[in-house]
Amino acid sequence: MTQLLECRECGRRTYYEKRRCLECGGSAFDRVDAGRGELRSVTTVHVTPEGVREPNRLGLAAFPGGANVVAQLDEGLSIGDAVRLQGGHDLRVTDDGTLRGARLVAVE
Amino acid sequence: MTAQHRDAGVPDASLGLDDPPAIAGVGMTEFASADDRPLIDLLLAAAERALDDAECDASTVDSVHVGNMAAEAFNERSGLANALTGSLGLTGVTARRIENTSASGASAVQSAFEAVAGGHSTHALAVGGEKMSSADTATATEIISRITHDREYEQGVTLPSFGGLAAAAYLDAYDADRRDLARISVKNHANAAKNEYAQFRKRIDVDDVLDSPAVASPLRLYDCCPTSDGAAAVLITAEPTPNAVSVAACESATGTHAVADRTDPLEIESVRLAGEYAYESAGFGAEAIDVACIHDAFSILEWLEMEELGLAPEGDAWRLTRDGETALDGALPVNPGGGLKARGHPLGATGVSQVVELVWQLRGDLPEGRGVDGAERGLAVNVAGFGNNAVCTLLEADA
Repeated sequence: MTQLLECRECGRRTYYEKRRCLECGGSAFDRVDAGRGELRSVTTVHVTPEGVREPNRLGLAAFPGGANVVAQLDEGLSIGDAVRLQGGHDLRVTDDGTLRGARLVAVE
Repeated sequence: MTAQHRDAGVPDASLGLDDPPAIAGVGMTEFASADDRPLIDLLLAAAERALDDAECDASTVDSVHVGNMAAEAFNERSGLANALTGSLGLTGVTARRIENTSASGASAVQSAFEAVAGGHSTHALAVGGEKMSSADTATATEIISRITHDREYEQGVTLPSFGGLAAAAYLDAYDADRRDLARISVKNHANAAKNEYAQFRKRIDVDDVLDSPAVASPLRLYDCCPTSDGAAAVLITAEPTPNAVSVAACESATGTHAVADRTDPLEIESVRLAGEYAYESAGFGAEAIDVACIHDAFSILEWLEMEELGLAPEGDAWRLTRDGETALDGALPVNPGGGLKARGHPLGATGVSQVVELVWQLRGDLPEGRGVDGAERGLAVNVAGFGNNAVCTLLEADA
């Protein structure tokens, strides 16, 4: 998923689906493109669960509208860099198949 | 972000009782990386120690509140509360299991506290326990990482991952450095070295932390709590007994499930709100606290939670650690029993063991060099996940 949910009432955006807006309690959302975010933090995780790449580099990025996202991160990026969500990555292998989704990648 | 409930304020916790609920007795097992006894035996051992400490016969207990996160996954069993009452030889009492991930213990304490405060119970026994050694590391990691949001889970995010992200952001935002962060674990190990109930009774230094294996940068193994086996128990009563410690408040609050839904990566709203509710209910604030047990599942959490609870100014907790203010002989001792890092973290036991530690501290019955001199008020905060939920308990020694 490379889109965010935007509250129709107040405009607050979120990556994490929910019934009510965290800001105003509104219950109607529109799907919008995430756009360009900024890395707020990065970590390289060396102990990962089965089916997850090791090491697993993760980033926490802030996107417009108050939406923060934690996702797998490309190499060579650090705090303050501009990033975007890029879909179609194999994120995790589970007993029920491969979970596919978005990673944080550099903005060209 | 604002709390969307409780706008009418915190209800009076005493609900008409003359005295706040009191803790008449406490007990715990020695926390260990592996304890041979089955989980139910650990719960029973802690319960009996608390009853002995209170000089109460088990027959006086009229409610039992068992905190445990994942006995089904770790030990392939459920029905803990009924098995425990059975072992204690109790029938006709209220008993239930409370699950709130890594804050299951404090939620059990809250359940017992509310039972007494609400007039439903006169002798409420809260027992928390977990036996994690039954699962291998990969299985334990999977069980614990499964508490994350689905969108986090698919990214392979683990609890230490959030610790790494928060630590990297904190060190970037403030003047603290990696060695300052290591001083939290050094201090907590020094405290645990004197605690006969602690899992790690070994002193370490800053270089030991920096030389330990990388887990989630910048965090290393010695920044992270271990997996543990253990149990702890407290008996909460309606009538104060000699040597009892009062429960001035026990409040909890949820935060966002997805950690990134917080506007600030260093924010743990659940801890701030649980603290605010507790201070309001108790009628005293952070400035009155003499000793604190903070949920240091990862070193960085000790700083973040101290700041959320008003025990340190925002962005300044690291300075208190570096200056020794949080050491056992400092102005505000934090984690005098060793914290999760060194006492150990048997998930469902931890929140109860924090309260056990505070009771020992406030009664002043610890050996020389183990206790905080003259402590009258203590705070414990037990956190579920990386801030999904938090429980804050305030205790007060009877004057």
